[in-house]
Amino acid sequence: MFIFQNIIIMLDSAFNIDCGYLEGLVRGFRNGILRQHDYLNLVQCESLDDLKLHLQSTDYGSFLANEASPLQVSVIDDKLREKLVIEFQHMRNHAVEPLATFMDYITYGYMIDNIVLLITGALHQRPISELMPKCHPLGTFDQIEAINVANTSVELYNAVLVDTPLAEFFGECVSEQDLDELNIEIIRNTLYKAYLESFYNYCKNLGGPTAEVMCPILAFEADRRAFIITVNSFGTELTKEDRAKLYPTCGRLYPDGLAALARADDPENVKQVAEFYAEYRALFEGAGNNPGEKTLEDKFFEYEVKLNVNAFMHQFHCGVFYSYLRLKEQECRNIVWISECIAQKHRAKIDNYIPIL
Amino acid sequence: MGSLFRSEEVALCQLFLQSESAYTCVSELGELGLVQFRDLNPDVNAFQRKFVNEVRRCDEMERKLRYLEREIRRDAIPMQDTGDNPEAPMPREMIDLEANFEKLENELKEVNSNAEALKRNYLELTELRHILKKTQVFFDEEGHLWPWQAERDGCAGNLDGGSVSLTQNLLPDEAKGPIQLGFVAGVILRERVASFERMLWRACRGNVFLRQAQIEEPLEDPATGEQVYKSVFIIFFQGEQLKLRVKKICEGFRATMYPCPEAPADRREMAMGVKTRLDDLNTVLSQTQDHRHRVLVSAARNLRSWMLKVWKIKAIYHSLNMFNIDTIQNGLIAECWIPVPDLETVQLALRRGTEKSGSLPAILNRLSCVESPPTFHRTNKFTRAFQGLIDSYGVASYREMNPAVYTIITFPFLFAIMFGDLGHGIIMTLFGAWMVWKEKPLSVKKVDSEIWNIFFGGRYIILLMGTFSMYTGIIYNDVFSKSLNLFGSSWHVPFNESTIRDNREIMLDPKQPDQYEGTPYPIGLDPLWQLAANKINFLNSYKMKISIIFGIVHMMFGIILSLWNHRFFNRRLNVLCEFIPQVLFMSCLFVYLTLLVFIKWVNYGAGEDVPLVLTPGCAPSILITFINMVLMKGYEEAKGPNSCSAYMYDGQFYLQRMMVVVAVICVPWMLVAKPYFLYRASKQRAMLGTGGVEGAMEETPSTMPVQPAEDHDMSEILIHQGIHTIEFVLGSVSHTASYLRLWALSLAHAQLSEVLWGMVLRIGLSTAGTTGGFAMYFIFAAWATLTVVILVLMEGLSAFLHTLRLHWVEFQSKFYEGQGYAFVPFSFDSILEANESTVTEAK
Repeated sequence: MFIFQNIIIMLDSAFNIDCGYLEGLVRGFRNGILRQHDYLNLVQCESLDDLKLHLQSTDYGSFLANEASPLQVSVIDDKLREKLVIEFQHMRNHAVEPLATFMDYITYGYMIDNIVLLITGALHQRPISELMPKCHPLGTFDQIEAINVANTSVELYNAVLVDTPLAEFFGECVSEQDLDELNIEIIRNTLYKAYLESFYNYCKNLGGPTAEVMCPILAFEADRRAFIITVNSFGTELTKEDRAKLYPTCGRLYPDGLAALARADDPENVKQVAEFYAEYRALFEGAGNNPGEKTLEDKFFEYEVKLNVNAFMHQFHCGVFYSYLRLKEQECRNIVWISECIAQKHRAKIDNYIPIL
Repeated sequence: MGSLFRSEEVALCQLFLQSESAYTCVSELGELGLVQFRDLNPDVNAFQRKFVNEVRRCDEMERKLRYLEREIRRDAIPMQDTGDNPEAPMPREMIDLEANFEKLENELKEVNSNAEALKRNYLELTELRHILKKTQVFFDEEGHLWPWQAERDGCAGNLDGGSVSLTQNLLPDEAKGPIQLGFVAGVILRERVASFERMLWRACRGNVFLRQAQIEEPLEDPATGEQVYKSVFIIFFQGEQLKLRVKKICEGFRATMYPCPEAPADRREMAMGVKTRLDDLNTVLSQTQDHRHRVLVSAARNLRSWMLKVWKIKAIYHSLNMFNIDTIQNGLIAECWIPVPDLETVQLALRRGTEKSGSLPAILNRLSCVESPPTFHRTNKFTRAFQGLIDSYGVASYREMNPAVYTIITFPFLFAIMFGDLGHGIIMTLFGAWMVWKEKPLSVKKVDSEIWNIFFGGRYIILLMGTFSMYTGIIYNDVFSKSLNLFGSSWHVPFNESTIRDNREIMLDPKQPDQYEGTPYPIGLDPLWQLAANKINFLNSYKMKISIIFGIVHMMFGIILSLWNHRFFNRRLNVLCEFIPQVLFMSCLFVYLTLLVFIKWVNYGAGEDVPLVLTPGCAPSILITFINMVLMKGYEEAKGPNSCSAYMYDGQFYLQRMMVVVAVICVPWMLVAKPYFLYRASKQRAMLGTGGVEGAMEETPSTMPVQPAEDHDMSEILIHQGIHTIEFVLGSVSHTASYLRLWALSLAHAQLSEVLWGMVLRIGLSTAGTTGGFAMYFIFAAWATLTVVILVLMEGLSAFLHTLRLHWVEFQSKFYEGQGYAFVPFSFDSILEANESTVTEAK
């Protein structure tokens, strides 16, 4: 039986037995992603109502039809997210193994973000009920609202996280120290590191086109985190040793690049590390904070979009689900960015969205 | 008239509308539904058009109405559909409508929020009541000792002895200091209890004690209105630290905590208080509900007409957005397609519109245009379904012959050849007739089932198919695979009983007057054939031949229709180089084939005075004859009057040879002639330097749009013509063969129904006695179900699809282009219908 299953997994075309319907669905959803001419039209909008009118002619349809005008940017944001979540959960509910676990893995990232958001909020004496709406719906779990019980990371683990899928990622960051800003950041990044590595291994074990597609995407994600951790750590009390512990080791930077990053003292050093990697060099070269230049963050986003768009060139793999979610999130960010620019009458930077396709 | 055979003439018109009267004019045109507006600003974004604000206001109103509708539906108040169709209100009335909706929405929202607050209150009190009731049990269980003792000095939650009962644990231990043992009582969603309990245990390291009990009846969630199940819990703990922690966890799990007095007397008192407050609240709640109900009922009365009004306003502004703005004269310019016969009606409607607004009249100009106008077939409820069959293949090019008219007869007829059975035909006819008879009530009743809508849409097709099947059933003499002997068979069996018993097969000889009367059965097949051993052979020969005959007639008819197309569009070249060789090709080969069939039927036969050459045994095979004809192979002439001849008439060989030669010549004629003439014409034109010759060859009628003279690419024409020719020549063979499906399906249908009779119903009929009666009861049910499901529905569907194919491919390929686009008039009726269907879908 086991051998038989392996044969089945190896056959690409057997993918359709379980996931053919969902892949069809996700490719259909992907065709609804806004194109360049949609953005050109959106950018021309005078008000948010114009934006709503134009979105009505796209795949978004009447998703804002039941909102009273004048519209708020936050309402648009909520509705965009709600639509995406409904789509994702619909697919998740129909998924079978190994896609089901794969899709669960996607949600773990949101869980980490939610936990960190809540703990940080609790540190600043904000009530949980006020923070909950800000959490991503994909990353909620039963115990999440009781998170402020925990004062130290041990408590956090023992009381809250031990029952969640995140428990296995938590191994390294258990300490008796009280939770403070720096601690939380470290927890977040350690969790993320463990999560990324676990996800990477899971995809690698799946093999086939899924590994072919997902591994480069996750490797890039890992490298991006390593770069950003390094850049953000300058001028903080984070020691170099601690910093090195936060780098996810599933990227292309591992091991030489990470070692070099661990020694970096200023942004110039980071750039030098990137010099050794062709695709990252290109990202660092065009980046800057001056007007007219794109920030490093945007460059990373652009590269991520490119990777995710390419994922759709392959067939019979789970990566499309991840890529779809990422592309759609980027699209939501774009729409929200444009809406913000329109709402605040700040049109100079309205073109700074990241086009998809 | 004549609109049945061709699509109607449609004119491009320009409309000058005064800005005051534009709205009313468009509204009138929308009621009329005869005008298709062209979008004059295709490059302008939806939100940059002139009347975008009005459209937005309509959207807003629609939103409010949808909200109202949702609320009405939630209370299950019936909405009145009076079926009346209010006119689009004037723009100034829009403000009233808006204000009205605004008021209603606000009122409803206020009522709702009040009701929600009340319900929340109610929920809290109910929960409290449950807590008081359930905790009473907890406290009682723990012995009557506990409450006052705990009050006095608390007790130590000494949990070291796992086996010691709880009551003992809670008993005051004098050795320890006075510690306050506190407790928290509350209500939590039942599905969260398990993780809640686990979390409590983990976070407090097992130092708390939780009791819980389920609340049996569901409670209403005030926010969503859903019924949810909850549980009462009570947690005992000691110390302030734990209390804080427990409270946090409770909050985290959205449990609602209630104060619960410790003394039984206090609890009893509180329970009384809660009960009276619940009663008060109940009356208030029912009053709020009544108010809400009243508001909604009054809204429900008008909701549909409001919705219609808003949809109409929106549609009008959408149309106005397609117009150009004439800044000089302060008006709007529209371009639209109008069927020529309706120009008068449109003018009248425009006049009505301007009168309503009391401004200058609108001006309607006819324009000449380059692009081809849309195709408009005026249909009624009878022809609509047939037109739909044609349109789903491709909308006719502007003003070309419309096959739908002929389809009305040919479609059911070809269907019936395949479906020939009187019994099944009657079932189908009755079903069709019922739908036609109950047309009005059925069409008013909106059914969501797609299958039913397809059947109902094609009710006239079904009716005709059924009646035609009855006719072919009579011709085939087939009723549920049995024959009717209405007029008495022409054949008689003269043999005595012993001969019949001894011989397995007996041959009847048509030459013997005591066996065959000499005149055939008056109509259709002689019922005797039903018993004959060679029934299948006989029917196959007969059905194959009629399939070919009807097929060739059908195709020839299609080719002849192409002549009407060529003449109408003045394409003389096509008549000379396509129509004539096509007709010659078909006549020389396939029409001749059908003639041979008829010659064989008429000339050969049994009888006393028939010479040997014309006896059935001597009749030549038509298939062989035809194959030899095409291969140009001859036969030896008959030796004498007593031997059979391979020829049916004198000079057949030479006539056939000539016809094959003519047919072969037709092929290069079709292939080369037209490109050659076009080539010559273009060369002449090049020499003259003008484009006059093209016009001489292919004059376009004045009503036709003048195509811009384009240089024909010679190779393209050649390839096009080559494909056309090959398609025709090969197609004429394969299409003729394709008509054999008529025979095949008819055979299959007859055999299937015979099998069903033989395998199912006969068992019932051959069982004797009372048991047979009972068995028959069930067997007939099975037979009837199978007949309807398999023979009528499934076979009917398959015959339908084959007929459809014969029309689309074999028939229409001979003349039909189908390159046009449909005329979609701006009509309120169709817009409202589309909106309503989306609304019902959304439900």
